[in-house]
Amino acid sequence: MKKLSVIAAAACLGLMLSVSAAAAEKTDLVIAMDADIETLHPSDYSTTIEINILNQVYDKLIYMNPDGAEDPEPRIAESWEISEDGLDYTFHLRDDIKFHDGTPLTAEDVKFSLEMYQNSDYQSANVDGLDTVEVVDDSTVVCHLSSPYSPFLLGISACNIASKAYSESVSAEEFASTPNGCGPYRYVSRASGSNVVLEANEDYYGGAPEIKKVTFEVIPDTTTTAIALQTGEVNFAEIASSNLVMLESNPQITIAEAPTSGFTYLSMNLEKEPFSDVLVRQAINYAINRENLVMVCYDGKAEVNSNICAKSRFGYSDDQMQYGYDPEKAAELLAEAGIETPYDLGKILVAEKYENLATVIQADLAAVGLNTTIVKEEFNTFIGDLTSGNYDLCALEMTLEGDTQQLALAFTTDWIGMANNARYSDEEMDALFAEAGVVNDSEEREAIYDKIFTKAQDEAVYAVICNPQTLYAYSADLTVPEFVLEGYYYINQFSWNS
Amino acid sequence: MKKYVLKRILYMIPVLLGVAFLVFTILSLTPGDPGSIILGITAKPEDIAALNAQFGYDKPFLVRFFTYIGNIIFHFDLGISYSSRQPVINDIIARFPNTFLLAVFSMIVSAVIGVSLGILSAIRQYSVLDHICVVVALVFASIPGFWLGLMLLLLFSLKLGWLPSFGAASLKHFILPTITISLTSAAGLLRLTRASMLETVRQEYIRTAKAKGAPERRVIWKHALRNALIPVITTMGTSFGASLGGAIIAETVFAMPGMGTLLTNAIRQKDVPVVMGATLFLAVLFSVVVLVVDILYAFIDPRIKAKYQNGGRSRE
Repeated sequence: MKKLSVIAAAACLGLMLSVSAAAAEKTDLVIAMDADIETLHPSDYSTTIEINILNQVYDKLIYMNPDGAEDPEPRIAESWEISEDGLDYTFHLRDDIKFHDGTPLTAEDVKFSLEMYQNSDYQSANVDGLDTVEVVDDSTVVCHLSSPYSPFLLGISACNIASKAYSESVSAEEFASTPNGCGPYRYVSRASGSNVVLEANEDYYGGAPEIKKVTFEVIPDTTTTAIALQTGEVNFAEIASSNLVMLESNPQITIAEAPTSGFTYLSMNLEKEPFSDVLVRQAINYAINRENLVMVCYDGKAEVNSNICAKSRFGYSDDQMQYGYDPEKAAELLAEAGIETPYDLGKILVAEKYENLATVIQADLAAVGLNTTIVKEEFNTFIGDLTSGNYDLCALEMTLEGDTQQLALAFTTDWIGMANNARYSDEEMDALFAEAGVVNDSEEREAIYDKIFTKAQDEAVYAVICNPQTLYAYSADLTVPEFVLEGYYYINQFSWNS
Repeated sequence: MKKYVLKRILYMIPVLLGVAFLVFTILSLTPGDPGSIILGITAKPEDIAALNAQFGYDKPFLVRFFTYIGNIIFHFDLGISYSSRQPVINDIIARFPNTFLLAVFSMIVSAVIGVSLGILSAIRQYSVLDHICVVVALVFASIPGFWLGLMLLLLFSLKLGWLPSFGAASLKHFILPTITISLTSAAGLLRLTRASMLETVRQEYIRTAKAKGAPERRVIWKHALRNALIPVITTMGTSFGASLGGAIIAETVFAMPGMGTLLTNAIRQKDVPVVMGATLFLAVLFSVVVLVVDILYAFIDPRIKAKYQNGGRSRE
């Protein structure tokens, strides 16, 4: 009898132990990334996944919601003011911030970091307009602009602040591979092609993060990612829409959608006939069934929008015209333009990953009597032909994120040969973008962008189709804040449900 | 024999130079430059030009080629990756062990399955076992690797939860990729071994061996198998050499960091130093494997052994 009670007690103890082990807080997080990173250099990065890791390790002067709708929030800078003439931005820094190696952050580090961006071949656009940086004292820094430039603050909000002393004490290679920031997570290790490990910075001035250890695992195949999410080996990942059905049916998984400013479009070479005729461009815009394309190519996970400006982006308005699916109107416009159908419109240039877009568009155009052939090229050749204007029509996706002013890249004469794929050149448009760049008043800027996008829609410069959404899938036990435009995430805002 | 091996090693030098020149030329002929590939179409031309100049990519083709070869010969330096700006050798060291282990495991498993079933099939030609082997081999030889890999993942990782779905952290992680690769290659080996055995047992010396009263077992193991294995070993050698270049599909499906994914990514990004470094590294290994296979022949085929012993000349 005594023996039995001992066993029972042991069993109870064992049960309690296992219960307490299960109830012990889960503090690790595994995130899948679809490609390896190349670098963790604070300014010389180029991919979204690099940005997502750097965002955890490095902090910025201020935080700004990329949609431009919210006021900036303080981060390293606790306050700031802009001079009357819009030329001087003064930032007052917190004095309690330390880098991960324990050295305090001072104004010299901010100056060093912004100058590093100025000299960067990769991300110098973030400091467009910046002329010189002046250190007033340890916690005050002034940015002098050469001329007023309204997107300056949004650009600065994307700049990682790195340690000057650290950059001087280590080799350039180590500076790029072993980041020393002041963000909520510190860098632990990286295995090439395999993973990146971060751990919580307990001294983070914004409070110690709840998730203590974060591992970014490289999983190139999207279906493998979907399986690993379900086995629990991965807790959070960006997923492909093709795996939605499999993941949505699993109650252990939550799916979230993040709007992006990226856009899917058909570019028409305005230097060629008949695309120089605005009627033809309007007809093409009316001929495309955008809802159908979004269902076929994005499994419904994209927002239909014929406007190059995403709906949640600053400067968008419902008053700006939208092209709906109207093949009869398209036929009328073609007749008005003097085009007799069937008409051979030329070739649609694509790279392999855009081929399904072209196939859907080709069918829509054929329905109004416009015949096209699809030409598929290897990606680098494709980009070469697109930027040099060696094409008729081209279907692709593009991202011009950051301030709405970035859309100047798609419309202004200076950018022909680069991101102005339509090779559109219009003095009025150039002047409007130039004006939008120097006006600081938010309402005035909005009015200028309204003119710009109304004009772009009237002239049907591009046939924009939709804004694809970024899809995230994560464990149902994980609490993740709602995603804002572009879908960047900050892991110190994540937590496991207890 | 020693002379022969030494000669073969010396032959490797022009082969490697040829490989280097060929790959370098092909990379130069492909469109795009590293600067614009890394920075994308929203970059300013002056930034692209500056980055290319930093890589030395603005210099003429021959200057770049000889600088590269010079650095290898005189400094043992494989260069710095354009995209990661880290020494190329680091990437190779990080990834090669995975690829090597995977190649070794897959070769062992596929050889054991393929050769043994191939022999069984051949000596019991037209039996039920033979028919099953031939049909199953045909099925596995025709199944695409990525599909097989995903099905294994769905079964063993998702449904049963026995094995991890990605990575290379432990030996357990190698089980599914090894099965994926070896089932396909075992099918090929089985068919090859079977065909080769069937051909060998019809040879006159087998009939002679049987006629002189040697037991069946001895005829098969001693006379037939040794001769039948020559083409099998050739195939295994070259396919092992090839799989050192990475089983790209298995590496992708099981997220295993290896040489295959390193090379494909580098080619896409026009990361010349990485492509060159990895290719040369693999070319050296491949040459060594081929050499080892040639030496192995001598131990298996008495006719070839006799040639070596006569200083490379045939006895006739």
